[in-house]
Amino acid sequence: MSATADTSQPLLSDTPLSELPALLLPAYGETWAMVGIVMVLVVVIGGATGVLLYNTSPRGLFPQKRAYGVLSWAVNMGRSLPFLVLMAAIIPLTRWITGTTLGIAAAVVPMTIAGIPFFARLVQNTLNDLPQENMAVGLVTGSSPAQIIRQTQLREALPGLASAVTLNTISMIEYSAIAGTIGAGGIGFLAVTYGYQRFDMTVMLGTIILLIITVQLVQFVGDRIARSLTRP
Amino acid sequence: MIEIRDLHQSYTGHEGAVEVLKGIDLTVPEGSITAVVGPSGAGKTTLSHCISLLEKPTSGEILVDGSDLSRLRGRQLRSARRAIGTIFQHSALLRRITVAENIALPLRNLGVVHHEMQDRVAELLDRVGLLHKANAYPGQLSGGQKQRVGIARALALRPRILLSDESTSGLDPDTTAQILSLLADLRTDLGLSIILITHEMDVVRHVADQVASLSHGRLAEYGSLPSLVADQDSTVGGQLLPIAALPLPAGFDTALDLAYRDGDVDPEWFTRVAVDHQIRLALLGGTVEARGATALGRAVVGVRAEQAQRAIGALNGLGLSARVRSDAGRSGPLGTTTSIAGTDPAGPPLSVAGQIQTGATVGATA
Ligand SMILES: Nc1ncnc2c1ncn2[C@@H]1O[C@H](COP(=O)(O)OP(=O)(O)OP(=O)(O)O)[C@@H](O)[C@H]1O
Ligand SMILES: [Mg+2]
Repeated sequence: MSATADTSQPLLSDTPLSELPALLLPAYGETWAMVGIVMVLVVVIGGATGVLLYNTSPRGLFPQKRAYGVLSWAVNMGRSLPFLVLMAAIIPLTRWITGTTLGIAAAVVPMTIAGIPFFARLVQNTLNDLPQENMAVGLVTGSSPAQIIRQTQLREALPGLASAVTLNTISMIEYSAIAGTIGAGGIGFLAVTYGYQRFDMTVMLGTIILLIITVQLVQFVGDRIARSLTRP
Repeated sequence: MIEIRDLHQSYTGHEGAVEVLKGIDLTVPEGSITAVVGPSGAGKTTLSHCISLLEKPTSGEILVDGSDLSRLRGRQLRSARRAIGTIFQHSALLRRITVAENIALPLRNLGVVHHEMQDRVAELLDRVGLLHKANAYPGQLSGGQKQRVGIARALALRPRILLSDESTSGLDPDTTAQILSLLADLRTDLGLSIILITHEMDVVRHVADQVASLSHGRLAEYGSLPSLVADQDSTVGGQLLPIAALPLPAGFDTALDLAYRDGDVDPEWFTRVAVDHQIRLALLGGTVEARGATALGRAVVGVRAEQAQRAIGALNGLGLSARVRSDAGRSGPLGTTTSIAGTDPAGPPLSVAGQIQTGATVGATA
């Protein structure tokens, strides 16, 4: 039985367990589609922003008080609104970019906008943890800034960056669920329409269990990757 | 050869500009090691950053083989930096690549072709005795080994100048000695001009040819190591061979400070004074050690007041400088003088001679 058939049934009746996979799996796919697209954008744009933040900061390769101030302020702005508020606030922007305010495309815009500053700070913090002397080595051996960023900053920080991606991915899974409340689809949408609006315990529990397993799994894989990138 | 001329460096802080270096003049000839010593905050690291061209001095020149590198920018600055190899305090090796890759990195970034790079890396690893660790990661090395890799990396681009800021602090004495003998060999074999910034006087005594002592941004003392040790007025000289002297025994009332002059000293001086000149000496403390062909030495002896002038004359004749300690007989260990002068970071610049005596008086009455 499909999801549309369900709506014709009387209120407050739980979905039979056998129909749960047919309901959950497509939604789960949608969640990953959202998170996947967002994470690609976040890692590229947020990563670049983080590198820029670090290198314009007093510790960086080209300290620039003014530029750092502006960048840091913008990043704080992006991080200061709760996701739900941000999502509602930028609806006009979302519509302008995607032409819609519903579905995956509409969720990707606020999620990306929330994810970029978050990831940028994570990257900056990871780079901050690198020994300052390493940068000086690059400089005194006549390396170019691009070489230093690649070899000394990003490559040395890889384990930390992997952890940052893990943390950000988990946050984005959470955001995707929040985005579900305004009809973005995915697991969150399912939880809201079935669990919240119709008190469907089966679907509710199903989504909860699925989310818990997913987050645990992402963390496990992320830790594994970070460890495999660490040298003795 | 590196020549530093009238180097000034200021930082602008909350209370306006603070001048950290106030006119430094320093010359390190080829094949020699100059140690820069000084209390914390004297400006040693600032000087090192200026020399490695990481900071631009507010004024002054840094001449490497005759050309001024301190005013360069951009690409020219980057290639000028390669003339100066730097060894860092914490070795600063990249942890995610192997020892060999760490040494190869400066060569790779310069665009050296692959097989030449490999040959050079092997040669450098051999030079520092770590060929067998080529494929190890820095995390698998001891502190001393890491520092040797750091030296190999600093040498990769065949610099004429080698700069080390506290590269042996944190190492145990044996490892320090290994690193120092490596540096001494490099000086001789490659004709490098080495600048060794340190606060460890043992390090200085073992390898330095010249010593520059920095205090409040100025050179308080600057000279060859033997001449500073031989100079009774030199605070650094006293710190290099510190003596904790015994108190004067009964029957002796005058203590003499002795220093081996920068020249021939008769090793039998003690016997000579006693036998040839019939002067009774009491040895209260001292250090004598070989420094290449010359001897470095300082000592404190007790004499009787009526024999003091004759003793000084006799000692001078044997190649030692000697003078009376003004506070003789009043204090405990006379050696406290040097440590007082050594640990006082706010001490006045050493152009004021005779500071040692004042310090001793303070120590005695305190
Ligand atoms: N970037 C900077 N901005 C402002 N002041 C600085 C800066 N770098 C150093 N100073 C000041 O310059 C003085 C000399 O510092 P420097 O690090 O050169 O001393 P040092 O001799 O290396 O000391 P230590 O033995 O503790 O390493 C200190 O008073 C320090 O506070
Ligand atoms: Mg320092």
